[in-house]
Amino acid sequence: MLANFYFVMQSVGMETNWAVEHLQTIRTLMERSAVYRRALAPIMLFAGIMGVAAAVIGLLFRLDSMAAFGTLWLGTAAIVVVGALLITRQQALKDKEPFWSPPTRRVAQALLPPLFAGMFLGVVFALLPGGGPVDFILLLPFLWALFYGLALHAAGFFMPRGVKWFGWIYIGLASGVLCFFTIVQPDLDFSIHWLMGFFFGVPHLAYGAYLYLTEKGKNAA
Amino acid sequence: MNPEPFLQLNRVIHEKGRLAIMSMLAASPELSFTELRDALTMTDGNLTTHIRALQQEGYISVTKSYRNNRPLTTCSLTPAGRKAFAEYINLLEQIVRQNKGK
Repeated sequence: MLANFYFVMQSVGMETNWAVEHLQTIRTLMERSAVYRRALAPIMLFAGIMGVAAAVIGLLFRLDSMAAFGTLWLGTAAIVVVGALLITRQQALKDKEPFWSPPTRRVAQALLPPLFAGMFLGVVFALLPGGGPVDFILLLPFLWALFYGLALHAAGFFMPRGVKWFGWIYIGLASGVLCFFTIVQPDLDFSIHWLMGFFFGVPHLAYGAYLYLTEKGKNAA
Repeated sequence: MNPEPFLQLNRVIHEKGRLAIMSMLAASPELSFTELRDALTMTDGNLTTHIRALQQEGYISVTKSYRNNRPLTTCSLTPAGRKAFAEYINLLEQIVRQNKGK
């Protein structure tokens, strides 16, 4: 009798769990399905061009102080974010779709924490008076690239699969170059803007060109 | 416990692979074969079998076209498929509600 009672209670519990799990799986799949469908090539190319342009400006005008470096690159990041939003909005208007759609919202939510953390470090150590030690400026490009890679990886869950890989490329690139400079060539002397241009210009241009060729139909739309 | 909602569950949709396909298609106007295969990590053969089963039931429509000179197969839910999926979800919610109330 008691065994029968346990069996019934267990079945009820199992059935509820099963149905709840099913609903949860369906919800997850539906969220994954509603992927971000905006063409990324123009955004990547814009980010790449801005990255290279900022590096050239930094090198030409020798913006090597903490404040100048921070202002230049945080300003560039802000312009890229605004530009990316405008490009996205333009595409949404063209497709007669809402700009702030659920997939766009989810992508923004995934990008926000790592990007905020990177920006916060930049503001504290490069812009605030008496922020961090001067040498910390050398670490910022690596930290920014790592945080950016993490942001892309997080957003990649709701975007085409390549974005997740692009995030990994950033994480790998930042880790690899950091290891190279700390272990192999610690005495290499060069402007930090070269590194920033290498991190935030070149990969964006390369990925943008790749996307431009592969998502041709979407870019033309 | 009332077994009625459980017995009413659509057996075609209830299968794990087909339910995943229906869920994906319910949230997008259309998805390509490649997108479905990559998102669900299914083999080509497995996905084809499930798509065929759902197509036979009239739940999804399959369109074959060309993009950039390459064949493109896209799938989308039919109105019947959307209705069947909504009914399936309703039944699941009913099961959960029914058991929560106990």
